[in-house]
Amino acid sequence: MKKIFLLSLMSAFLFVSCDKEDDNMDDPITGGTSSQSQYKLIDKDTTDNDLIVELYAKTETIEMGYTPLYVKVKDLGGSAVENAMVSFMPMMDMGTMQHSSPLEQPVFNSSSKYYEGMVVFTMASSMGDWELDVIANGEAASFDINVMMNPTGTKYVGSYNGTDGEKYIVTLVRPFDWQVGMNDVSFMVHKKETMMSFPAVNDFTIAMDPQMTSMGHGSPNNVSPVSVGNGYYDGKANFTMTGDWRLNLDLIKAGDTIVNAYIDVLF
Amino acid sequence: MKKFILLSLSFILGGFVFSQEDTLRPSQNYKEIVIQGQKNNSNEKASAQLQESTDKLLSTTPGITLIKRGNFALEPTIRGLNAGQINTTIDGMQMFGACTDRMDPISSYIEPTNLEKIQLSTTPNGEQTGSAIGGGINFALMKAQLDAAKKFSGKVGTGYQTNANNIQTLGTFQYSTKRWALLVNGIYRKADNYHAANRKEILFSQFEKWNAGANLVVALNDKNRISLDYIQDEGYDIGYPALTMDVGFAKAYISALTHTYENRSRKLRSIESKFYFNFIDHAMDDTKRPAEMVPMHMDMPGTSRTFGMYSKAKYVLNPKHILTFQVNAFQNDLHAEMTMYPDIGSEMFMLTVPDGQRRTAGLNLADTWFVNKNLKLSYGARGEVNLSDITTKIGRQTITSFYDGEAAQTRFSGNVFAQANYKFSKKIGVYGGLTYGQRPPSLQEIYGFYLFNRVDNHDYLGNPDIKNEESFSGNLGVNVKYEKIAISLEGFANSFTNYITGLVLSEYSNMTIGADGVKQFDNISDALLTGGELTVKWNPIEVLSIESVNSYTYGIDDAGGFLPYIPPFKSINALKYYYKGWNVKVEHVGAFAQNNVSTARYGEGTTPAFNLMNVAIQKHIKLKKDKALHTEVGVENIFDTPYYEHLDVLKIQRQGVNFVVRTTFIF
Repeated sequence: MKKIFLLSLMSAFLFVSCDKEDDNMDDPITGGTSSQSQYKLIDKDTTDNDLIVELYAKTETIEMGYTPLYVKVKDLGGSAVENAMVSFMPMMDMGTMQHSSPLEQPVFNSSSKYYEGMVVFTMASSMGDWELDVIANGEAASFDINVMMNPTGTKYVGSYNGTDGEKYIVTLVRPFDWQVGMNDVSFMVHKKETMMSFPAVNDFTIAMDPQMTSMGHGSPNNVSPVSVGNGYYDGKANFTMTGDWRLNLDLIKAGDTIVNAYIDVLF
Repeated sequence: MKKFILLSLSFILGGFVFSQEDTLRPSQNYKEIVIQGQKNNSNEKASAQLQESTDKLLSTTPGITLIKRGNFALEPTIRGLNAGQINTTIDGMQMFGACTDRMDPISSYIEPTNLEKIQLSTTPNGEQTGSAIGGGINFALMKAQLDAAKKFSGKVGTGYQTNANNIQTLGTFQYSTKRWALLVNGIYRKADNYHAANRKEILFSQFEKWNAGANLVVALNDKNRISLDYIQDEGYDIGYPALTMDVGFAKAYISALTHTYENRSRKLRSIESKFYFNFIDHAMDDTKRPAEMVPMHMDMPGTSRTFGMYSKAKYVLNPKHILTFQVNAFQNDLHAEMTMYPDIGSEMFMLTVPDGQRRTAGLNLADTWFVNKNLKLSYGARGEVNLSDITTKIGRQTITSFYDGEAAQTRFSGNVFAQANYKFSKKIGVYGGLTYGQRPPSLQEIYGFYLFNRVDNHDYLGNPDIKNEESFSGNLGVNVKYEKIAISLEGFANSFTNYITGLVLSEYSNMTIGADGVKQFDNISDALLTGGELTVKWNPIEVLSIESVNSYTYGIDDAGGFLPYIPPFKSINALKYYYKGWNVKVEHVGAFAQNNVSTARYGEGTTPAFNLMNVAIQKHIKLKKDKALHTEVGVENIFDTPYYEHLDVLKIQRQGVNFVVRTTFIF
């Protein structure tokens, strides 16, 4: 009888012993190595000063919105050139007019061996033709970029007329990997000074209100994005369920709401 | 003094008589509703009880009140305590409902055909398997009897109720030898919508279910036995008129393996060990509702999986002390999800109980001390450790919505209790006791994610920082038992610290369409529940008995407001007349109005008083070879009185006049 009692006791403690650990999901892409498969080659072109310019992105297709771009510059012999002067010049040709877009000029990253920059594609190629010039040591390599619409139910970038008479572009920063629960979220704000000049704006206060549009409810505990410099605003968005979420963003300056922007996400 | 002979008391007072052999539990604060017994003379009562629903049997027990959401699966409360505050078990097995809207209290997964008796305790005792603060309900399963008088015996019965076109068919069969015995039982029940007074149809109150159980007992030798239990219970198309959704199916699978050792000549008198597993699969359904009632179609399935064990031993230290020990452990895993399908836009998905897991291991010690022939003391303690966690990544991610700490947590809880019983004479006794207890919050109270409560129309969020609920309670009772009259009166007071309730989060927007806001489970500093029960049984002449069961509870919170789910004074009074196998019962059921409500804080409205009458005639015909035929004809709510009880969600009217016909054949 003692055996049975002991056995029972043992099994009582058995419950406490096993536990699953399945949440170590490190993203391999964040590793700083320069493996070729890390980025997808969009296209390559040779400049007039005999430099081969290869343009890479994180995905094979490019969508509207915040788009990190990666450039390799090689000489005709195929060896990498790491000290070139590289810059971006995106241009949207809409037929009747041309304009550029917000961007971050590429900087050489000595650990990844890429020139890394970013372009906000504010329109899809259905509105006109996007051409991206990558200027290496003064000569341009030209790329026709096919910019896709954002998937149905999403909107990752928007242009707005502010009540101060200026035009602003509000962009959701990639990458994002939405989960139910609290998510880090980041936006950029640029002012459209001219067709060719889109400086980052750092002095807005942003009030964010996520709404589940199909049910008419919001979510608690969101952290409205605050400016962290260079046009970036970081906050936290709480998605209490999957589905269509609209992130309402009020851009406020001196107590006045200048822009009512929104970003739509779906997951 | 007049000379009286002792009455055999009804089950209501059954706990009063204590003998040396029946001392595992404190004999007070302990009530049993015997449904089926092994003795032949219990057949008559069993025939009537088997045909009732579990809910009906619970509702006539003093101290128990039911929360009603439909004509099915009523949720028991004990003295104003409910859900996680009480410990509901099946044959000592822990089991937890899978539904986030509390549609499936575990009492809905068992039928009287499965049961030997229902045991209600209002204070902790040596048999508890959880550290609930309000006592508990245990559904003791019927066991096959070894070496029964008849090798093959059983009961088959059928019943019909006009009100909801409610049919039921049941059977229990036993095959018994010296070495082994097998019991199988089954029941099928089906009901259409019921009708309240004036033939008002209550839409979406239908149900259909079947339940089958089996128990095999094998005697290994004269001291050791193995018992195997299996119950499967499946309900379909169950309407919940008080809720926004119905149930497509609710299925439970309950299994247990029990070993018992008993040696009456040794100090180690007995050991009982049980290993068990149960699984509930539950799916809500809104597809039967008219489109205008359903703002958005949803799927809300949930599962609950529990496995565990207990082992308890009874040790006779000396004739004055009987010790009981128990270790128990279990693990419960809950998963509940919701997928919503809007007319425009993408479908939405969330976890409402985000894969919560609770592991509990506990230890009980209790001693019954026969101080002298008048005084008996029972005292003991339970300690347990509770490990709570969320087992999936999406589950952990979900609670980051409202909590930024670790999901996993460890809690300790338990209780200490002491009861004294003093007999002035064979006819008069008093008893009283004190209990201090703590209970851990339930998984829903820790991790719940927008659980909708129809009573206050709020969505509820869990709270990982919530404190254990603590209670300090006392009870005092007196039993008087003469030849023709027996009276039992008990009062209690239960003082809470960190009472768990929902507090409004004003900044939060509700998720459920049409809800009034969001609450979070939280502690309020204190609360007090008081009340009592009075039971009277009077036999003025031999063939006539008058019984009265009365219960009252009063509850106030930290602000002096009234607590929710508190039933008003309720009285059930029956006049019973027995004559030559005929049994006539006229019953009055009534309750006072409940005006002690805090509508602003808890959403409850007031409830008017009601009085209704039932009548039933039973005839028990003894046939040859120990066979019998039991027939019952009755009318419930004779005067078609419109009424509802205070704990009825949404105040939907209960059944109007109902004609009942039942017959059972015993062989």
